[in-house]
Amino acid sequence: IAAPMGSTAKEEMNKFWDKNVRLNRPMSPHITIYKWSVPMMMSIMHRGTGIGLTGAVSAFAMAALVLPGSYPYYLDLIHSLSIGPFLTGLAKFGIAFPLSYHTYNGIRHLCWDFGKGFKIPEVYSTGYTVIGLSVLTSRGAAM
Amino acid sequence: MAALIRLSSVCRRGVKPLFYQSTLLVRPLAVPHKHQEQPYLLTARIHSSQALYASGSNSAASLHWTAERVLSILLLAMGPVAYFSPGPVIDYSLAAALTLHGHWGLGQVVTDYVHGDTKIKLANVGLFLLSTITFTGLCYFNYNDVGICKAVALLWSK
Repeated sequence: IAAPMGSTAKEEMNKFWDKNVRLNRPMSPHITIYKWSVPMMMSIMHRGTGIGLTGAVSAFAMAALVLPGSYPYYLDLIHSLSIGPFLTGLAKFGIAFPLSYHTYNGIRHLCWDFGKGFKIPEVYSTGYTVIGLSVLTSRGAAM
Repeated sequence: MAALIRLSSVCRRGVKPLFYQSTLLVRPLAVPHKHQEQPYLLTARIHSSQALYASGSNSAASLHWTAERVLSILLLAMGPVAYFSPGPVIDYSLAAALTLHGHWGLGQVVTDYVHGDTKIKLANVGLFLLSTITFTGLCYFNYNDVGICKAVALLWSK
């Protein structure tokens, strides 16, 4: 009466995407119409900070390979620009915040991976904790 | 075909649960006479053929998942070590862990947003190149310059 399917989930997904491209189907609205929630925003923030941090590390690594001078030399160069304490603090906050947020939220993710913290109130309370800790840590680092 | 769909599903829970039943994941075939005699044996064969994909936690994908979490925990532990006992060992460990964590993270981003075999392959090659350059650059920095821990310390001292 019936036969088992021989294709994998991956093949089926590819067929789906190929068909969409072939028929030139428009994308249904999703993030433009769905109501944003804190968990949604925190999730994309986690991805955004991850991409940003990886980009920064890669940029640093490439600079190390390409630039002729040493690190202390370039640091002194920045020092000599007399940027001022406010902007310096802002820059430190700008570096510290993505790192803190991604780290704290990463711990939250690891808790989920161990099966903990999935109840909706817990998702929100741990979420607000991550945001609070990130701001506090970054402010402390910026001082 | 009707014999495979339990009527109770339609009556009690509506149409939607039907779509999630595994019995719908089979293609109707022209019926050879002998299969009509023992439908329960055929169902047993269908379910067992999917056992390969339903096997325990040792597929490449689930091992990768576990490795990602192990690396994340390792990287977490490296933070305090870098702060309290900086030096070349932690510098190179950080270079490796940071690069790999970023590489696997961006790999998930590619999987989520890039579709089509050629584009996926291109994206992954590009990612591999980026990660290789990143690791090279970090090791170069550790060897020829002040090293990661010292660099962070100096940056924050200003």
